[in-house]
Amino acid sequence: MISVSPNSASEKLDLANLTDEQRALEIKNLSLYYGEDRALHDISMSVPKHGVTAFIGPSGCGKSTLLRCINRMNDLVESCKVKGDILLHGKNIYDKGVDVAALRRRIGMVFQRPNPFPKSVYENVVYGLRLQGVKDRRVLDEAVERSLRGAALWDEVKDRLNASAYSLSGGQQQRLVIARSIAIEPEILLLDEPTSALDPISTLTIEELITDLKQKYTVVIVTHNMQQAARVSDQTAFLYMGQLIEYANTDTLFTTPMEKRTEDYITGRYG
Amino acid sequence: MESQTEQQLKANQARLIKDRLARVGVTTGGVLVLVALLLIFFYLLYVVQPIFESASVKPMHSFDIKANDQTLALGMEEQAEIGYRFGASGQGEFFALQDNKFADRKTGDIIEQRMLVPQGQITSFARSLPVNQQFVYGLDNGEAIIVQPKFTVTFPETARTQGTRQVERLIVPRFETLNDEQPLQVDQQGRTLEQLAYATDGEGMLMAAVTGADTLLITKFAAEQNFLTGETSLTPKYEQRTLTAAIRDIAVTPDLNKVFALINNRIVVYAVSMSGTVSESQVITLNGRQFGQAQSLHLMPGAATVLVTHESGIISQWFEVPSDEGRTFKYIRQFDAGGPIVDLEVEDYRRTFYAVTNDGKLNVFHTTSEADLYHEALPNLDTQMITIDPRANHLLAEAGSELTLFKLNNEHPEVTWSGLWQEVWYEGYPEPSYTWQSTSGSDDFEPKFSLVPISFGTIKAALYAMLFAVPIGLAAAVYTAYFMSPSVRKVVKPTVEIMEALPTVILGFLAGLWLAPIIEAYLPGVLAVIILTPLSIIGFAALWQLLPSHIRTTLGEGRASLILVPLVLFVGWLSFSMSPWVEALLFDGNVRGYLTNELGVTFDQRNSLVVGIAMGFAVIPTIFSIAEDAVFSVPKHLSNGSLALGATPWQTLTKVVLLTASPGIFSAVMMGLGRAVGETMIVLMATGNTPIMDWNIFEGMRTLSANIAVEMPESEVGSSHYRILFLAAFVLFIFTFFFNTIAEFVRQRLRDKYSSM
Repeated sequence: MISVSPNSASEKLDLANLTDEQRALEIKNLSLYYGEDRALHDISMSVPKHGVTAFIGPSGCGKSTLLRCINRMNDLVESCKVKGDILLHGKNIYDKGVDVAALRRRIGMVFQRPNPFPKSVYENVVYGLRLQGVKDRRVLDEAVERSLRGAALWDEVKDRLNASAYSLSGGQQQRLVIARSIAIEPEILLLDEPTSALDPISTLTIEELITDLKQKYTVVIVTHNMQQAARVSDQTAFLYMGQLIEYANTDTLFTTPMEKRTEDYITGRYG
Repeated sequence: MESQTEQQLKANQARLIKDRLARVGVTTGGVLVLVALLLIFFYLLYVVQPIFESASVKPMHSFDIKANDQTLALGMEEQAEIGYRFGASGQGEFFALQDNKFADRKTGDIIEQRMLVPQGQITSFARSLPVNQQFVYGLDNGEAIIVQPKFTVTFPETARTQGTRQVERLIVPRFETLNDEQPLQVDQQGRTLEQLAYATDGEGMLMAAVTGADTLLITKFAAEQNFLTGETSLTPKYEQRTLTAAIRDIAVTPDLNKVFALINNRIVVYAVSMSGTVSESQVITLNGRQFGQAQSLHLMPGAATVLVTHESGIISQWFEVPSDEGRTFKYIRQFDAGGPIVDLEVEDYRRTFYAVTNDGKLNVFHTTSEADLYHEALPNLDTQMITIDPRANHLLAEAGSELTLFKLNNEHPEVTWSGLWQEVWYEGYPEPSYTWQSTSGSDDFEPKFSLVPISFGTIKAALYAMLFAVPIGLAAAVYTAYFMSPSVRKVVKPTVEIMEALPTVILGFLAGLWLAPIIEAYLPGVLAVIILTPLSIIGFAALWQLLPSHIRTTLGEGRASLILVPLVLFVGWLSFSMSPWVEALLFDGNVRGYLTNELGVTFDQRNSLVVGIAMGFAVIPTIFSIAEDAVFSVPKHLSNGSLALGATPWQTLTKVVLLTASPGIFSAVMMGLGRAVGETMIVLMATGNTPIMDWNIFEGMRTLSANIAVEMPESEVGSSHYRILFLAAFVLFIFTFFFNTIAEFVRQRLRDKYSSM
């Protein structure tokens, strides 16, 4: 499932014309309605593999909504209707008969606030594996170590795997949630403002972690913080009022934005 | 600017005062609630506490009686104003026990004196049970004279001042000799009556007498009323028996059909028929080595119990118990007075007796409760004789020529802590048992106060209700909070909560008068519904899972419940319409008969099944409401986190949501249990209120709360019964307190463990 990264962060991609090989996800003419209100307007974009794609934009611009469309978390909102396609390996995830649970196993998600379960550190990490019926203690133990190392948490918690997850600090909890997500080895990891509830030092740790994660996973991150987007992402999409205004490689977007609205936003004129 | 600041400061001051007032108000309210609770707690204790007090005997005053013969018997009238004695010379006296200015009597004054035996030599003396207050002199010519002290109470007016009348009580005593002052012939042959025993049922009489050491005479006087004159005449029937050894003591029962004769360490029991024919019915062997030599026989009120005093100071109790050979006397229990007994007196109505030992010690016991109430030396150590007034408020003791009146305080001898909670062997019962039977139509009934059957009933009712309510309440709560769409939830939740406001008297009424007969008539159907409905739902769910997924998606996942509704209705209809067929086919057309005759299971119409359903219905809203809140308030970010890891909604529910909601769900169940334990009206109306101890679902029960509701209106204030009902309330209080404390404790523990941030 995981292939060696074909592109590095520095390599510029032609985002409009990605090959199937390079593409992790394709969003095609996606519109979303909350009842009568249209929250997303006809969005089309491709997310490349093994990179960090950031969604930025002012509050209420639909960046989180778009992220939640990717693993169908919006299904839980009663009045929400989606039009258009999101293609994963060429298959529309909104097709009838798609097993949503199976889809979410392939597209993991980390939320704004750390949300570990009221269980031990160990049980939190193996939660997804247990759901799939993995019982072999050795497999679980390995997964815990691998995932916690992957989330840069192993050294801090290896002595208290059986302690409650709530005994960890906020930053540790968020890394635990990331470890929990990568324990089931998803293809894509969605991060919904993962550092907004954390202090600067924890934020830094998570940002470093994101850079590591893209070696193995395709990461899509929503962030409020433009510096963060500039620091961690390879591609950046700017959304405004439910529309995709500009989508480009991060360097290009932050240095030479094509659109006036993008420029206004990144120079801090609104948002 | 300045004035503005000033204004601001003023406003702040007003705010401060409001704040302070609010704080004081809230604190006062909270403290008052606590105080109210504590007051209830201590008031209950205050009412209950006297039943555990032991007896007290306090000397009031002593006085001398100028009499030069030996006392045969002492007695007191009800108010303990006047006492009387029967002397060995045949003289009877009434004397004042207390000063009475109005009647011009001083303590010890002789009020009335009379020669009761005008001719003949007195050789023996007997008395009826205290209730009848009759005394008999036996003479050397085979005759007996029956004397009864009588008291006429009047309330003459003493003064009238400004419309208020002053009324004093005046008691005038007199001796009355029965049978128109004529002696009764006890022995046809006119032999000396050396010992005598006497009993009466108000009309007829039974006498037993000993002439010559081993000859027992049994004479029954049957009362016959002359239709024309209305006078009663006594017809004697004479019987005689010779025993194998000298007779130590004799006793006869007031139902006039038993005579006891004590010889050595055996009691020979004779049955006396209506016509007076005598037959030996049983020989009781007393274990002399265990108890010591038997001395005398005493009957308890009601005369079902025989007390035997022994030289060792042991008093053994015997009563009739059903056995293979009919009802036979059996050893029940013993009491130890600590030394040879000189006098033993029983109370008129209760099962309390007083024994004086030769070293002047007074012992007070209660037979049934086995209570050891008093154990002290009397002030005068050579006390030979005691008597108790009919109300058991005073004790009169004679030592030499000195009489001492004591104030007796022995309010609740029949209640002991162990008697309330352990098996007690009641008079006439085949074995010790837990029994609650507080009142009866009979005078010589002894109340049976065991809290065990009603506590058991409370738990049984609550458990059957929980069996019904917990699965339904929790399932409904989980479904409403977790699966139901918010718009439907908005309607469903308040609707179920309104059910809680339904007066339980209506539920009880429906359960007792509508549901109970239906369950009785369609028993197989009701049982089938209870078993088949969950099975059909689970079966349907399994089938639904087996359906190919594309059919499921076409039908729509959400429609499953819609298809389930007709299925459940169909199962219900099927169960009920099949009920008569099943009954005819398998149970010979009568399930009740089949249960009782073939399985030995009793069936009452008002049973635990009815209560379980009705009270379950009352408890469901409580459980539903709290559990629904608990499940609903599980943070969305937790369930989302689980779903984002690829969990199905069901997996999320069982692995994360229920775990996090567990403190709330637990307290929902405990609150439901607390409600079920305290519930009154439903159990009162639908249980049949039978205080039995049996887990059988087809039998009723009596709960603590229903027991209080049923019996409190008819219990005498201050009586043992009244106080025990308060104790029942206290136990109920402790029950709910216990459940709530456990609930709170466990909930805290769970919350510490599973609380979300």
